[in-house]
Amino acid sequence: MSRRLRLLLFALAVLCALPAMWRIAAHMPRFGAHPLPYGDAINDAAPRERHVTNMVTAVNFDYRGFDTLGEEFMLLCAVTGVVVLLRGARGQDLDALPGVVAGREIADRADATVLLCRAIAPLIVVFGIYVALHATVTPGGGFQGGVIVASGLLLLYLGEGYRGWRRLVRSRLFEAFEGGGAALFVAAGLAPMLLGRAFLENVLPLGQLRDMLSGGLMLVVNAGVAFAVAGGFTLLFIEFMEETRAVREGDDPGEHPT
Amino acid sequence: MTLLPWLVAAWLLGIGLYGIVTSRNYVHLIGCLGVLQSATYVLLLAVGYKWNAGAPIFYSHPPGTPAVDPVVQALVLTDIVIGATVTALLLALALQLHKKRGSLDPEELRPLRR
Repeated sequence: MSRRLRLLLFALAVLCALPAMWRIAAHMPRFGAHPLPYGDAINDAAPRERHVTNMVTAVNFDYRGFDTLGEEFMLLCAVTGVVVLLRGARGQDLDALPGVVAGREIADRADATVLLCRAIAPLIVVFGIYVALHATVTPGGGFQGGVIVASGLLLLYLGEGYRGWRRLVRSRLFEAFEGGGAALFVAAGLAPMLLGRAFLENVLPLGQLRDMLSGGLMLVVNAGVAFAVAGGFTLLFIEFMEETRAVREGDDPGEHPT
Repeated sequence: MTLLPWLVAAWLLGIGLYGIVTSRNYVHLIGCLGVLQSATYVLLLAVGYKWNAGAPIFYSHPPGTPAVDPVVQALVLTDIVIGATVTALLLALALQLHKKRGSLDPEELRPLRR
């Protein structure tokens, strides 16, 4: 199919879809002024029934916890796919030098960059842990906190370079985080069944409203998600960074012969 | 004004699709997929919006204050995280493709042309 024909088909499809789209947009409920039966029910019930103040966490880890389990495994599958695709070619090498493109020098890092990264990266990791820990009371949770922790670790790459970073960030540990987090989520779901209750039923003591340790089983699920997300994203960074290291003898370069 | 959120969602959907249709590079195409996906975020968050209502966090406001729909927010949250990892998976595929075939142009990489 030529480029022009494809554009023509696209324009035709848009023309066909446009009236329908317009009709749907015009018949959508009034923006901001229609009833929200499910949202209002959660907003009403969760502080009473689950003693949590963050409704989004209550939905994710309790009321819709089973769906989140599915999403958790989508994350696991995607990360596993990336690892399988990328690790096969070059393998792990902790001592390798960064790859060099011919004719392009690697400039030395400025001291200010190294200092700033060393100072800020631990703070970002701590902030990520804080966001993950306060999932049930203030905005945040395992998903957000895990991503923040991983981005803090990525900042170390900026400061330390490939070799230093790989020495600090061991993939074994983050593989364990990724798999262990998902396993913890499943265990939190199965544990109530041993007591003869439903899957993921909140059987732990609920704690006080506005307390960090409120929400019962949600805290365990949240911890599992935080570990899995932090581990998963760090593994993604590690695998992509592995691609930048120099090819050694015995490695399969896997490059396209040009 | 009341139409605006739905039109923004439709526009993001359309412009993302346009990018995918006309793309000459798989990395660009994956970026367009991200734009396309953000249409669902806008749509979901707009569905759950309520005038004069706060965030569904009852820490500094007592439970019972008007708040927007937390269900769609939870959907969007997981959607974003999954979207990011799926983007990484697609980029890994693109990387391997570039190694094997030396190109990322969908026009050159048609399976039937070789």
